[in-house]
Amino acid sequence: METEKQLQRLNERLTYMREIFADKDNEHIRRLEAATADYASRAPDLGARERRDALLSLEEDFASVEQALDASLTPMDKVRIVRHPQRFCLRDILENVYDGYTEIGSMDEHSIDPAMVIARGYITRRHGKRVTNQSVMIVGHEKGHGEEFRNGGSAKPWGNAKALHYMKVAETENIPVHAYVFTPGSYPIEDTPGAAQQIAANIYGMASLRVPLIAVISEGGSGGAEAVALADRRLMFSHGYYSVISPEGAAAIEGKPDPGGRVSPALVEQCAGRMKITAEDNLRMGYVDQIIREPDLGARPYHYDFFRSLRQELLRVTDEVSISVRGLPLFRALRLRSRRKRAARGLDFETSYVRWNLPPSAQVLLVNRRHRKFRDLSLHAVRDLTPLSRRIGDIRREVGWIVYSRFRHDMLQKRRQKVSEYVEEVKSEWTLFFERALAPLHKLVALFGRASERLSVETVRELTELSEWNDNQEQRGRRWAYAGAGAGEDRAVSCPNSGIHGCLDQWAPDLYGEFAGVCPNCGHHFPMEYQWYLHNVFDEGSIVEFAEDVEAGNPLDMEGFSAKLAASRQKTGRKSACMVFEARIKDVRLITAMLTADFRGGTVGAAEGEKFIRAAERAERMRFPFFAYVHGTAGIRIQEGTNGLIQMPRCTMAVRRYIDAGGLYIVCYDTKSYAGPVASFLGCSPYQFGIRSADVGFAGPAVIVETTGLPVPPHYHNVYKALARGHIQGIWDRRELRFNLSRALLTMGGRNLYYR
Amino acid sequence: MSGKEHKILIANRGEIAVRIIRACRKLGLDFVCVYTAPDAESGHARAAAEAGPEKRLYRVSSYHDANELLAVADAAGATAVHPGYGFFAEDYRFARRVKQRGRSLDFIGPSWEVIRALGDKINTKRLARSLGVPTVPGSDKPIYDEMEAEKFARTIYEFQLQQGIEHPVVLVKASAGGGGMGIEEVDDMDLFRSVFRRIRNYASRQFKDEGVLIEQRIRDFNHLEVQILAERGAGQIVHFGTRNCSIQSTGLQKRLEVAPGFDPSAVRYRFDAAKLLAEITEHSLALAREVRYDNIGTWEWIVSRDGTPFLMEVNTRIQVENGVSAAVSSIRGKDGTDLIAEQIRTALGEPLGYTQDDIRFDGVGIEYRIIAEDPDRNFTPWVGRIERFSVPERDRLSVHTHVPYNRPYDIPTEFDPNLALAIIRGATLEEAAARGREFLDALVLEGKSPSGDPLVSNVAFLRRMTEHILMF
Repeated sequence: METEKQLQRLNERLTYMREIFADKDNEHIRRLEAATADYASRAPDLGARERRDALLSLEEDFASVEQALDASLTPMDKVRIVRHPQRFCLRDILENVYDGYTEIGSMDEHSIDPAMVIARGYITRRHGKRVTNQSVMIVGHEKGHGEEFRNGGSAKPWGNAKALHYMKVAETENIPVHAYVFTPGSYPIEDTPGAAQQIAANIYGMASLRVPLIAVISEGGSGGAEAVALADRRLMFSHGYYSVISPEGAAAIEGKPDPGGRVSPALVEQCAGRMKITAEDNLRMGYVDQIIREPDLGARPYHYDFFRSLRQELLRVTDEVSISVRGLPLFRALRLRSRRKRAARGLDFETSYVRWNLPPSAQVLLVNRRHRKFRDLSLHAVRDLTPLSRRIGDIRREVGWIVYSRFRHDMLQKRRQKVSEYVEEVKSEWTLFFERALAPLHKLVALFGRASERLSVETVRELTELSEWNDNQEQRGRRWAYAGAGAGEDRAVSCPNSGIHGCLDQWAPDLYGEFAGVCPNCGHHFPMEYQWYLHNVFDEGSIVEFAEDVEAGNPLDMEGFSAKLAASRQKTGRKSACMVFEARIKDVRLITAMLTADFRGGTVGAAEGEKFIRAAERAERMRFPFFAYVHGTAGIRIQEGTNGLIQMPRCTMAVRRYIDAGGLYIVCYDTKSYAGPVASFLGCSPYQFGIRSADVGFAGPAVIVETTGLPVPPHYHNVYKALARGHIQGIWDRRELRFNLSRALLTMGGRNLYYR
Repeated sequence: MSGKEHKILIANRGEIAVRIIRACRKLGLDFVCVYTAPDAESGHARAAAEAGPEKRLYRVSSYHDANELLAVADAAGATAVHPGYGFFAEDYRFARRVKQRGRSLDFIGPSWEVIRALGDKINTKRLARSLGVPTVPGSDKPIYDEMEAEKFARTIYEFQLQQGIEHPVVLVKASAGGGGMGIEEVDDMDLFRSVFRRIRNYASRQFKDEGVLIEQRIRDFNHLEVQILAERGAGQIVHFGTRNCSIQSTGLQKRLEVAPGFDPSAVRYRFDAAKLLAEITEHSLALAREVRYDNIGTWEWIVSRDGTPFLMEVNTRIQVENGVSAAVSSIRGKDGTDLIAEQIRTALGEPLGYTQDDIRFDGVGIEYRIIAEDPDRNFTPWVGRIERFSVPERDRLSVHTHVPYNRPYDIPTEFDPNLALAIIRGATLEEAAARGREFLDALVLEGKSPSGDPLVSNVAFLRRMTEHILMF
């Protein structure tokens, strides 16, 4: 009986090995297979002792082979390890790392989203005679050893919403959050609250959550990972991967397979390698803080030593985060240092108690630290070619403005406002007094002459003579400063809605000129180049670009990608997909960050993220409104790997700082906007507007079909659908963008705007 | 004409198409017509089909589709387009496209810049004010802000109160509107904002232009027009006198027009009518010169009971009623002025060839629009088949109609229900009116609706109104 079980276990290990190497022919595995088969045939004839000896030697063989194989693991093998049903999952951690836990809102498949598990766990520590149960909020994806209803740990929007909800509960209860990332990516579905919008809400919420956040990554797939992985310390299992996109997805984009056709496994392997997705890669680039060593070929549920070391690491890290923000600065550093020394000497964290709840001052420090930590990430992946003189000029200009605006808008205006308020008050008192006193006289006058009914010359002139009118400011109606490029052709253009609405073909010069690319019959918006907006939305000649020399690079040295970037630079005359500039709308100054679809599909990499953050920070310092105009974005630039992915939390945190400071952040989506940026720094805006006929969403239709196998209804991502689902706050006509923005600038936003 | 063989695409239907065909023939120009399926039996289609062995008639699915019309122009080898009135007549984009497209055509009408300048009420009003031409008291720039608009409307309201107007009314109208569309009256300032919003939305939807004007409503006025003609390059600009178009249906559609605008020799007015007519003519010419007007056009005026004129708008096209002005004018002593022919001739670049001094006015002309409608029931159109139709033949009477005399005719329902235009001339107002009544009495117009009811027309209404013409 015993032998049977052990044999079965060994066979499972064999299967596991075969599967993670994807049936690649391997001599070691073949040898083990032979040895196991030999043992199985011999065992019935052996005595008990001999059997045990044989088994022990076989297990030794297994161990040595596993060790040998572990050294040869490729990144793609690690991807297969992480996805293997035999890999440990969140349930194993809950049971082996914590001393007790209560699942919140789920029991197997009875859950709003079985892919996301929330648990209230505790860890018991003994120090001296006292025993303390320290609570943590555990949030994580559950793959459940291949249970189908878990969806492979691919969380639905409402699963992510639940995660955010309980992280906020943790904040209320002042207990740390342990987040476990076991997801291939978020489930791409737009149903309310929406995949992208909910991830954005999560990142925005976690950015300034006032409790220690610890994230541990096993399978960190793209936006789904970011939805829970923003943390003060990010740990990563040695056999995990953390990537902007699955290797298959990257290969599909790189290799451009025929529709329905698959990409070759070799290309997938190659992509997995080039994307730098392993724990070591991410540690080197700084996107994780520490690696947790797993047993050879990855941890499985029976690796109890592994769980013990995981527990130790979690205790150590959670303690460290708490200590590093508690108490007096000097004392804090000393305590941290001595603790690290003791840890090196083998301090048992089970018996050393550190409080995990934070006093308010420590909470502030914690959040500031977190912001600084992310602000400093990925800087190595950015090439800033701005000459020094320009940098100095920029700083001078900014400081000049700050001084001027403080004087002009704060001191003067406030004083003037006070004086005028006072004058008005006196005046109204006075008028009231006079009116009462003179009332009898007025009546008398009314009785005698109709003097008051004489026409005032002023009114007649106002109503009959030519008035002053400067329509340069309005740009409404049909006088556009810039006509679309299509306006130069003598051809008729058909509206895609002509079948439904009977739209007549439009002459291109009319359509792209006066009509601003809008079908005059049905209102369909044909795409217009971003230059149209630059000229027709902002005051003429008011645009001053900055950080234009921050250049999109090739931080992972992807083969052939530098040439593609050069081609994009050549084509667009721009150095990245993000243009940031200062401009005016009806004399109100603002900072705008624009993503242009012309440059690599408007994808966001380290350079784009850095520029966006600088724009947000400048807007905050100069107390300008901040406007993100998305002329189109296909998502995060996958060729930059996690260097791109990390822009999701980085930029969102910059936005969070800006909004919390009291600014006004408006997002406007045009043409097609998808994936990472929408699921983070764009989707977190309280004021998101779509230009008519635009599409907004998480994953494009092809990806949805690919990952969910469900058919995508027509116009699934249309802004009207997005509005109905509550993802955006309104739909704007392109021709009214200037007017709507102008009104928004004057009526929306917080207190930190220079003209308020 | 001028060395080049011209061929005119007549991008219109019915009565005006027939008149354009006639003018083309008179000028010796070739032409091509379009028609839609319901118009197969219409007079213009028949005239085009019968014009000769060459194909001159093309079927289109709609008169509104510029692509189709231009495809016909290319297929038929047309060199110019006459838009008639309605449809594309005042569409400066169409005029521009015709001119600027790869295969450029002549547009028979003012150049597109002029159409654009005068097609916008706000722009027209500002142009007028800049020249000291009187306009209706009110705004002369688009007001987008509701609060500002309401403040302005209140000023107009009080302005009227101060003038002694008992029930002031403020008009809100779309700058790009016309023909009574996109106009609303407000007599209660509390309702102003909602009306303003409605008109603004209507305007942006209908005309793609949010501009809204706010004006005083002038009550108790006569509607006068000044007929202008100018050659290309705006060298010579002449006028063909004035018209009075005050007799209209309840929907403000003209039914009876008289030239000249007033007749001080026959009627006593409270103001100096001769001086007023001279004044509005001079103002119209001044504006025409300012915009370098270069084809035919009509300046619309309203004149209040005390003789104050206000310029309303400019129609940059041929009109239904230009025939009545032509009827009372002669060029170098020659009767039978044909303004459509003059329009085509000058639009193709021929110089005018005469000056204002060569144009003389004589007598009074009346134009009746004979329509199957019920004036007693809000001018509801009547639908059915005309079984008998005949007009008397008289000297100094001309009738334009696309309704056949010799066989029954079903009135098409989707277009303007004008059946016939009759122009009568008399040496004096009295004589013209008498001849008009006599004509209407002799006219035969009978028919049956699908339910067997007899035809209803506005003939009795026109006869009754003839008593009042030019009275104010």
